[in-house]
Amino acid sequence: MLTTDRISGAVLVLFASGVIWESRSLPLGSFRQPGPAYMPVLLALILLVFGLLIAGTGGRAAPLASISRREWRHAAAILVVSVFAALGMERLGYRLTVLTMLAFLLKCVERRSWALTITLALAVAFGSFYLFYTLLRVPLPIGPMGI
Amino acid sequence: MLETLQNLYLGFSVALSPVVLLYAFVGCIIGTLVGVLPGVGPLAGISLLLPVSFGLDATSAVVLLAGIYYGAMYGGSTTSILMRIPGEAASVMTCIDGYAMTRKGRGGPALAIAAVGSYIAGTASVVGLMFLAPPLARFALRFGPPEYLALLVLGLLVLAFMSGGSMLKSLSMAALGLLFGMIGIDPMTGFFRFHYGLVELGDGIGVVPVAVGLFGLSEILLTAGQEKPPEVIKPRLRELLPSRQEWRDSTWPIARGTLLGFLIGIIPGSAHIISSFVSYAVERRLSKHPERFGQGAVEGVAGPESANNSATSGAFVPMLALGVPSGPIPAVMLAAMMVHGISPGPLLIQQQPELFWGFIASMYVGNVVLLILNLPLVGLFVNVLRIPYPLLYPAILVFCVLGVYAVNGSVVDVGIMSAMGALGYGLRKFDFETAPIVLGLVLAPMIEMSFRQSLSMSSGSYTIFFHRPISLVLLLVALGFILLSLRTLFTKVAEWRRKLGLEGEAETKEPGNV
Amino acid sequence: MKKTNCARGPISRRRRSIGMQLVLALMILPLAMAPSAFGQERFPDRTITMVAPFPPGGVADLTARPVAAAMERILKSPVVVVNKTGAAGAVGMSYVANSKPDGYTVLMALSSISIIPEADKLFDRKPAYTMDQLLPIALISADPTVFVVNAERPWKSVKEFVAEAKKRPGEISFSSSGVYGTLHMATEMLAHAAGIKLKHIPYGGAGPALTAILGGHVDTLASGPAVVIPHIKSGKLRPLAGWGAKRVASLPDLATFKELGYDIEFYIWAGVFAPRGTSQPVLKKLRDTARQAVNDPEFKSAMEKLQTPVAYMDAPEFQKFWDKDAKMLADAIKRMGKIEIKEAK
Repeated sequence: MLTTDRISGAVLVLFASGVIWESRSLPLGSFRQPGPAYMPVLLALILLVFGLLIAGTGGRAAPLASISRREWRHAAAILVVSVFAALGMERLGYRLTVLTMLAFLLKCVERRSWALTITLALAVAFGSFYLFYTLLRVPLPIGPMGI
Repeated sequence: MLETLQNLYLGFSVALSPVVLLYAFVGCIIGTLVGVLPGVGPLAGISLLLPVSFGLDATSAVVLLAGIYYGAMYGGSTTSILMRIPGEAASVMTCIDGYAMTRKGRGGPALAIAAVGSYIAGTASVVGLMFLAPPLARFALRFGPPEYLALLVLGLLVLAFMSGGSMLKSLSMAALGLLFGMIGIDPMTGFFRFHYGLVELGDGIGVVPVAVGLFGLSEILLTAGQEKPPEVIKPRLRELLPSRQEWRDSTWPIARGTLLGFLIGIIPGSAHIISSFVSYAVERRLSKHPERFGQGAVEGVAGPESANNSATSGAFVPMLALGVPSGPIPAVMLAAMMVHGISPGPLLIQQQPELFWGFIASMYVGNVVLLILNLPLVGLFVNVLRIPYPLLYPAILVFCVLGVYAVNGSVVDVGIMSAMGALGYGLRKFDFETAPIVLGLVLAPMIEMSFRQSLSMSSGSYTIFFHRPISLVLLLVALGFILLSLRTLFTKVAEWRRKLGLEGEAETKEPGNV
Repeated sequence: MKKTNCARGPISRRRRSIGMQLVLALMILPLAMAPSAFGQERFPDRTITMVAPFPPGGVADLTARPVAAAMERILKSPVVVVNKTGAAGAVGMSYVANSKPDGYTVLMALSSISIIPEADKLFDRKPAYTMDQLLPIALISADPTVFVVNAERPWKSVKEFVAEAKKRPGEISFSSSGVYGTLHMATEMLAHAAGIKLKHIPYGGAGPALTAILGGHVDTLASGPAVVIPHIKSGKLRPLAGWGAKRVASLPDLATFKELGYDIEFYIWAGVFAPRGTSQPVLKKLRDTARQAVNDPEFKSAMEKLQTPVAYMDAPEFQKFWDKDAKMLADAIKRMGKIEIKEAK
């Protein structure tokens, strides 16, 4: 039966194997003089063993189906917003990015009224910018047209 | 002794002058504001605000920075407790039980305990700093790579005591964290490992985006979509202060955390980060009810918060006594002093006593100011929880992005935070704990570097770890820990067998503490 | 992808409004746009960003701040220092090298600017930036490194040290700020010139490297003078020689390697750069501003407090200095090659 531990153990094994494969281009070094690949390979081997153990002893863990997936749409939307922040920050500037993030989350995801969305988004975007950039001199990116 | 007191009097006469006092207040307020940003802890706080101090005279500048430093430290624990967003690596442990307390409606007491614990630890470690600086600093310098490695191995072993869940899972998460720590330019040979074309990964992936992602963002991801949003907690004034029982439970953890943190803190390098992890493990080990940890044990807040605070004061010992930039925070302070034409070092105490003692006194003052400022603020901060979660989390997300970006001015860090948020979400769904990842990530570069430095020093001979007294002692202690944990493992196995034989039925899995 | 999230949002099934589509459009916008790009007529008409590729409190940052402040006073327009850190400075330097050449993004770089492209070459990496992507504006400071030994070691002079190092090749150790870092390069140049072999123990930064020699974990260190002078005065470290063409002002008794017959010179310098492609009038304006800035009294006193000698050079002269320095470092790196690692077989 597929249990949570079987799956997670298998993923760890896969990841560890991937790391070992990726380390092939780096010199391994020796026991007395470890090279750049020494620690990564060693650690990946340890993780591989742990992954196997987790998968092997995981037969009685909770079945995969027991994991609730109710909130995944929300989670995905929030993740997209956070990736958007990474992409948009230095292109749109801090204020526009934050404004968009908040508008999307409040309007599209949380379905709040326009009045609330706009007020909150403007207040947080410009308020935090004023506080941290203007008053506290924390460098934040400015977008086109100085916004 | 008498001389010290006289000097201290001189220091206080500097630190208590109205102008200087004003800067202490301003520093604490600014520090708290910046520190509330996720990821912006004392280091990022004083780094970001260092330029602000350039226009002031030397004493005011140092006092302002000391205030910012304390404020940022406290601001960091606020977000850890109220929103499960670590202000920095050292607050990761505070997140676990602090946030659990908040969910039970004990956020106020957790904040108050954190404030008082930090105050006690801060003040006590300044006393230690004052009287013990020169001899301790000389001792600290004896920590070379082999000693450092032994200490770090000891730090890694505390993992065995850190978590309540499956040890196998904790260890695999630590291995994963250590692997994450391998990313970046190899400090010994210059090979760039696992970079995939991103120059930004040269120094490895930062602890801040990982901690904020794994803890803060994953919490938002898990909570925001619940059909019933978490209920709004309406704190009552009566419940803002810790109960008598909570005070009693916190006394020893604060004392132990203070001592532990100070001792770990004086060692040059970044070892101070592990002080909060070690303190948490110690408290869990010593507790009569270790099962309460992770479910909102006040000891799990009191110990690590105190340890964290006194460790960073401890880090000032080598800086002030020897002029050695013994860690990231003292290094920034050192730069601040150099800007004002002061070179800290063995001669500072003799040549500019008013500055040295002014600094010491301002650390006292900073602590007191912070306590005065923050105890009333507890009530204010807790009110944040009155905001309905669907409106609160978008703002939290914005502050996560802002904080993570501000630390290095890097959008790659924001990307890493997003990825780590997704990872943390998945891991918590599958019942893994994420704190060991952070510990592993913090330790990995230091362990690897000191290991390979040691072998370079000895031209490849492993005897270097046993020929040096300090590292030998530390390794023996580590061995003791291993034996101790093996014993509990054996008893567990025996117990399990007995259970299996008696009941012959599958253990029911505990519900995950998600 | 975003649309599906929105349209099939779990809370409501109402139709999307026009406003919501606008929000979506805004979200897709940055993917198509290049980082901020807008023209200018009079320079400067907005904030100039000076990138320091190292964290606050480092040499680059501490030099950049007084320079930026002085330039701000002269231009009467804001000049802000932004720390873009990572990968031993490569992140900040490639950021400026690849930014729009309009004069609004300039760089305060250290000598390591010439090392990173060479190290990238050595490891067959796609270079983070190349040196010809950047144009020198002005050299601000140049500090010769000094060679110090732990005072408990017996060597009183370079001669004694070299003699001992020849007897025990590969046994006397030195710490550095990192492999192929400036402090590493300085000592390797000495080793090459003197024909000796030393044991390198790299540390993560100049601070830890200094701590290591103070604790006696390594024997020697090449370092900027300002940070070691207090320890020389307190008797913990002993200076043997300096790398400059002239003696260090604050250590007048310390001979230079040149005087001792070793033909090596090494400076930790800081200079201002702009991306190649910046227009001539803007470059001229920046150069003029830099020249006035180094003569600004407040700037001078700030540098004095940092104990860093100002060594101003205008662009043409600086370009020559830089070329020579870069060639010397490139040669040294080629000579050193990759760190030797014996494969376990």
